[in-house]
Amino acid sequence: MTTTKKTLDTTRSAAPILASAAAALLLLLGAAAPALAQAADPAGTPASLAARAAASYRQAARYPDDSRPLPPGADDPVRAKRLAQPHSHAGAGEGAPVITVWAGAVSYEAPHPVELHATVDGPGAAGKGRRAVVATLTGEVVDSSGELVGTVTYRDDGEGADRRAGDGVYSALFALPADVDPGLATSYGVRVRAVTADGAFVDAIDGFLYGKPKAHLTGNFRDAVVDGNLVIEAEVNVEEAGRFHLAGTVGDVKGNPLGWAQAAARLEPGSHWLELSFYGLMFQERGASGPFRLLSAALSTTTAMPNALNDLVEDAHRTRAYPLARFTGRPFDNPGLLQAAERLEGAPGGRGK
Amino acid sequence: MRSRVLTGLLLAAAVALAAPQALAQPCFIFVHGKQTNTNTYTSYSAARSYWVSGSRDFVATATRNFTASYYVVGYNGTRPYWDAQAAGEVANEIVNATNGGNDGGGHHCALSYAQGGSFWVIAHSMGGPVMDFILGNDDASDPNYNFNGPYSTVASRISLAITLSGAHRGSEGADAVCGNGSFLCNFIAQFIQSCDDATWWLRSSDDVQVKTYSNAPARNVYLTGGYEAIFGASACLSGEDDGVVQYASIYACNGSATASYDNSNVCGNGAKQESSGFLNLDGAHENHDDIRNDSDRDTRRQVPDGIWTCGGSPCAPNTQVQSSMSSAQFVSILW
Repeated sequence: MTTTKKTLDTTRSAAPILASAAAALLLLLGAAAPALAQAADPAGTPASLAARAAASYRQAARYPDDSRPLPPGADDPVRAKRLAQPHSHAGAGEGAPVITVWAGAVSYEAPHPVELHATVDGPGAAGKGRRAVVATLTGEVVDSSGELVGTVTYRDDGEGADRRAGDGVYSALFALPADVDPGLATSYGVRVRAVTADGAFVDAIDGFLYGKPKAHLTGNFRDAVVDGNLVIEAEVNVEEAGRFHLAGTVGDVKGNPLGWAQAAARLEPGSHWLELSFYGLMFQERGASGPFRLLSAALSTTTAMPNALNDLVEDAHRTRAYPLARFTGRPFDNPGLLQAAERLEGAPGGRGK
Repeated sequence: MRSRVLTGLLLAAAVALAAPQALAQPCFIFVHGKQTNTNTYTSYSAARSYWVSGSRDFVATATRNFTASYYVVGYNGTRPYWDAQAAGEVANEIVNATNGGNDGGGHHCALSYAQGGSFWVIAHSMGGPVMDFILGNDDASDPNYNFNGPYSTVASRISLAITLSGAHRGSEGADAVCGNGSFLCNFIAQFIQSCDDATWWLRSSDDVQVKTYSNAPARNVYLTGGYEAIFGASACLSGEDDGVVQYASIYACNGSATASYDNSNVCGNGAKQESSGFLNLDGAHENHDDIRNDSDRDTRRQVPDGIWTCGGSPCAPNTQVQSSMSSAQFVSILW
């Protein structure tokens, strides 16, 4: 993270006010605003938004809505959505400590316990990255109405969820009480308070999703090239009827992400196959031939909000070897995006200035 | 009689000259932000007033004094962004706008979609995740396809969205209100007031973020936001902020929602919460209120991958590109 200087309000000089008045007058008179902007401030000129958007839609139209390529070096977007990110909060005042909190995952499947973590740095900005001496670190788990569901005490003793004693990372395990039913899924907040040895304190709120997905991946996958696209099917065991969503990222054998695909369907109880179709052009554009790896597979029950998210399955499947020539090199020509581009190009500035 | 005919001919000529341009203008659809009560949902005047401060009016300025047509949406800003009275209501109203229907004040788009109209959505604050949810669930393969409204129709009809200090990754202000925020942080409560359902779903925690329940937006979401801090409140926000929403959220950055960014280093178009569809415009020295009501015509700065060009090339990040331009004026020069 980078420390930045806050930009507070400034006293406004007469010049901008006069310029604003002139701008308002010209706007009222219907004068062309871009000319005004350029005349008043020659430093910059905004590029045509309509033309930019149209060009980007034409580029995106090479792919269908359910499968898109990833640029070289991109992270796996399906995995990224299931990783809980740390959040830092500074206490009040110059000498206050800074607390960073995170859950072990965005979501947990019942009946698994939830891992919670925290560090406390400081005091103050000068203490950034330097662990504070913590006296107590506790959390209250609450639901969205603020009702207390349970409490936790974070420890740095190498026990339970804490991976290493004395490393400054405090951890706690939380088990949802047996009499609390999260339904399909519920968002819980964790109000965390750290008190340092010198009596300073800092608060933060973290959270996690806790749910009971109604289907699970069996671990069986199969692959084929169909109409020039890589199709990876995943077997799903449905325990209760509902709507289900599967997303996956495909990569090369070295684990470099190439693109993602998704599928959704309403399914009845029983065994089903959900099909991820990775549009063939993504392999042609990267010059990537098989075998490929399904780097991540994320199943969700999306019958209601919030959705119930299954645990992420990483490195789920390795496909057979497919020569590059079997994949299509033809753009998909996504009709919705092409139509959006055409409409923008018909607008003022739509073909660029 | 002759004079009346002449007047009529002149009027017809004026209309004929003006009409093609007027008809080609996009229609602007305005989507407000978080509310502490249901006023904007139940009262059109409340929804319309959201964009006004005294004699300043975002809608008037952005549409170049109503040269372009507009439609003002009102939804229940106390409900979660994904709720039927939030995303569902907004989707239904946008479809109504694109059908040529009236908003609550009798205003309608000059051309319906069927007549060839184009539509730009302008969303402030929580309007950002509302639009993310709609545009990220428009396809049958998306997680929450047409969840509680005609999302697919919205996505097929609008050309783009522009968000003003959009809370795409939530707000640390919501964290302060829903957590045990310090006295200074609770200063933010003036703006957010209570940890209602909408606020709960605007926290920084990933389990409530719109990205967890959506795919990449089907139409581009262009990002601008404020960096005029508010004394007290901004002490609780990371990096640059507009007093309520921090830059990591305004610019829909990937990674931590509380990462500290400024105009020089805020995430570029390749490091967003989705792999495509979120694109930077610029940053404005406006606070969270100013940016929606045209009340502060101040400096604007380029951000990484921003829209401003200097001498034919993209301006360097943090370059001051305007000295007295509000976000309403900025929108008015984008079409």
